[in-house]
Amino acid sequence: MSYEVMVGNKAAATAVKLAKVQVASAFPITPQTTITQYLSEMYAAGEWDFDFVNVEGELSSQVVVQASERVGARSFTCTSGPGLQYMHHPMTGTGTGRLPVVMAVVHRSIMGMQPDHSDLMAQQWTGWVHWYVEHAQEILDTILMAYKVGEDPRVRLPVAVGYDGYVISYTAEPVEIPEQDLVDKWLPPYKATPSILPDEVDPSSFGRGWGGGDPQMGWKRLHDASNNVKTVLMETMDSYYKTFGRRYGNGLIEPYKMEGAEAAIIAMGSIAGTAKSAIDKLQADGKKVGLLKLRCYLPFPSEDFMEWGKKVNAISVMDRSICIGKGGPVFGKLRDTLYDQEERPKVLQFHAGLGGKEVRVGDVVNVGEKTLKVAQGGKVENLVTWV
Amino acid sequence: MIEIRLHGRGGQGAVTASRIIATAAYEEGQYSQAIPMYGTERRGAPLTAFVRLDDVRVRERELVHNPDVVIVLDPLIAKNQAVVDQLKPGGLVLLNTNLDPKDVKLGGDFKVATVDATSIALETLGRPITNTAILGAFAKVTGQLKLESIEKAIYKYFPGRLGEMNVAAVRRSYEEVKPAIQAVVTEGPEAKVDINVGGYGVLKDVSSWRVFSPEIDVDKCIGCKSCWIFCPETAINWTDDNKPEIEYRKCKGCGVCANECPVDAIEMVRVEA
Repeated sequence: MSYEVMVGNKAAATAVKLAKVQVASAFPITPQTTITQYLSEMYAAGEWDFDFVNVEGELSSQVVVQASERVGARSFTCTSGPGLQYMHHPMTGTGTGRLPVVMAVVHRSIMGMQPDHSDLMAQQWTGWVHWYVEHAQEILDTILMAYKVGEDPRVRLPVAVGYDGYVISYTAEPVEIPEQDLVDKWLPPYKATPSILPDEVDPSSFGRGWGGGDPQMGWKRLHDASNNVKTVLMETMDSYYKTFGRRYGNGLIEPYKMEGAEAAIIAMGSIAGTAKSAIDKLQADGKKVGLLKLRCYLPFPSEDFMEWGKKVNAISVMDRSICIGKGGPVFGKLRDTLYDQEERPKVLQFHAGLGGKEVRVGDVVNVGEKTLKVAQGGKVENLVTWV
Repeated sequence: MIEIRLHGRGGQGAVTASRIIATAAYEEGQYSQAIPMYGTERRGAPLTAFVRLDDVRVRERELVHNPDVVIVLDPLIAKNQAVVDQLKPGGLVLLNTNLDPKDVKLGGDFKVATVDATSIALETLGRPITNTAILGAFAKVTGQLKLESIEKAIYKYFPGRLGEMNVAAVRRSYEEVKPAIQAVVTEGPEAKVDINVGGYGVLKDVSSWRVFSPEIDVDKCIGCKSCWIFCPETAINWTDDNKPEIEYRKCKGCGVCANECPVDAIEMVRVEA
C-alpha cells in the first residue's frame, strides 16, 4: 500500500483510476474542476485505458455517461452546485433507467460559491443513491464502494458521492492508496445486462417497459431497489473492511463515541469531522454526547436511527441545507422515522454551514451542550437554531 | 497539535509550501492537513494557507484561527501588523525579509525570525518564488521537521532538476536564517490592512491586491462610460459631472479600465511599497 498527501479531488480521481472506469465525461465548474484536470493528466500519461469525453455542459456529460453505462462501460462524472442543477433533467433518466453511474458531487451552494448541501439535496427525486463523506480517504474508499453497490443486481442504481467543496476538495491530507490488484479482485469488471432487469423488461423499451402497463410500478420498483442499498451497503462495508482494513460504521451511519451517550448529534460531510473534535472535547469534560455521522442519506437508514432513538434522550440534527418553507431535510425525515416509537427522544434542529458559513469546533460543542441539557430533562427553548 | 498560518501572494507558492510541510510531517509519522483559503484571488493577490500537524488524524475542518506559527513569504506583506493577528502569545513569526529580527517593526508577545528568502530564491531558482526557500528556515527555527523530510517532500512535488534547485534553496535558508528573538516592539501599530482574500470581492477592501493603481485624467475623459461598463468589480462610480470616479477599496488593480479607455485617460501607476 502506498500513500500520498493529496487533496479531496485527487482522491476522487484516484478512485476512478483504481475502479478502472472506462468512460468519464465532465464539464469543469469550481470546486469540481480539478477532478477533471487530474483525470486529463492521467489520460495524457496513459495510466489506464479509458475514454474522456469533452462536452459543452453538464447536461451533456450526464447524457454521455448514461449512454456509455447503458452499453456496458463503467462510467463516471462529477460536478458542483449550479452544474448539478443543470444536470437535473438527464439525472432522472439515469435513475429510472437503472444505470449504475457514479458521480462525485463536490458541494457548492446553489446560492453563492461556498459549500453547503443544497445542490445534492435538490436532487432527491431523481432515483439516485445519495452519500455524504467527510475526508479525502473516505472519498477514495467510498467511490470504490459506490461502484460495488450501484452495480449489484439487487440495486442497479446510480450513486452520487458528495463532499464539501473547498473544505475537502482542496485540503491536502494523507491518503492511503490500495493496491490495484486487490481492487481488481474486490471490484471485478462491470458486466452489462441486455436490459436493466432482463426478466421483467422488454429490452427494446430501453428500460421504460416495466410495470406491465401500470405507470406507478416504475416508481415502486425504484423505491424497492433503493431500499435494497441498505443490505448491500452493509455487506459491502464488511467486505471492504476485510480486504482493505478501513470501515465507516456500517456504511449507512458511522457512530462516534456513542457508548453510554445520553445525547447524540447527527451531522454529515465535513461538519461531521469538526463534530468529532467537538465530541472529544465534550467527553473530556464528562459530557456524554456522541456523534451519529450520516453517510447514506438516500435510502434513509430509518432502522438504524430507530435503534439509536431508543438509546438516547435527545438528538440534534445539524442540517447543511434547507428546503425553504419546510426546514432541514434530515431533521424532518428523522422525526418522521421516530414517530411510531413508544419511547422517542427529543429531536432538535440546527441549521449550520449554509452558504459555506464556517462551522467551528466551539459551535458544535454548543450544540452538544444544548442537546445534553434537553436529554437530562431540560426544557426545549428553541426547536430551531441557526448556528 | 501545531497550527501554522502562511501568508503570501498568488504565484509565490504558499499553497504548495503548506502541502510540502504536510507531506514532510507525514513522512515523519505525523498526521497533517494543509488548507488553502480560497476566495476570488489571482496571481499577485495576498493569500492565506494553513497547516495542522498532530500525532492523531486531524478531524476538525475549521480554518486555523489561533496559529502557533506564522510564515510570511512576501517581504511587503511581512510589513503588515495583520500577519501577527491572532498569533498565540509566545508564538513564532518567520518573515521573508532582509531585516535583522531586532529591526522588525511588528509588535506583540511573540518571537521573530527572519530569512532573506527572496534573495535565496533569485540566486538558486532564478525566480522570486519563495515557498521552498523559506522552508529550510522553518525547519531550523521551529525544530518541527527534519531537513531530510522536507527535501524528500520537495522531490514529490518537484521531480528531477527542479527538485535539486529547490532543495538547494531549502539548504541555504536552513543555514542563513537569523535565529528567533523575542519581538523588540511590544505593541504593534494601529493601522491594519485586510490581507485575507476570503469573502466576496466587492463587499470587502481589496486595496492590498494592487500592484498598479488606475489614475484618471478627467480633462482627457470624454465621458463614454467604457471604464464604468467594463470594470469587473463595480469599482467605478459615475459623477454628476459625467465623469468616472474610482472607489479604491473595491479596485484590485486589474487595469481593464485603462485598457478599455478609447482616449488613454486612465494610467496604471505603480503602487509605492
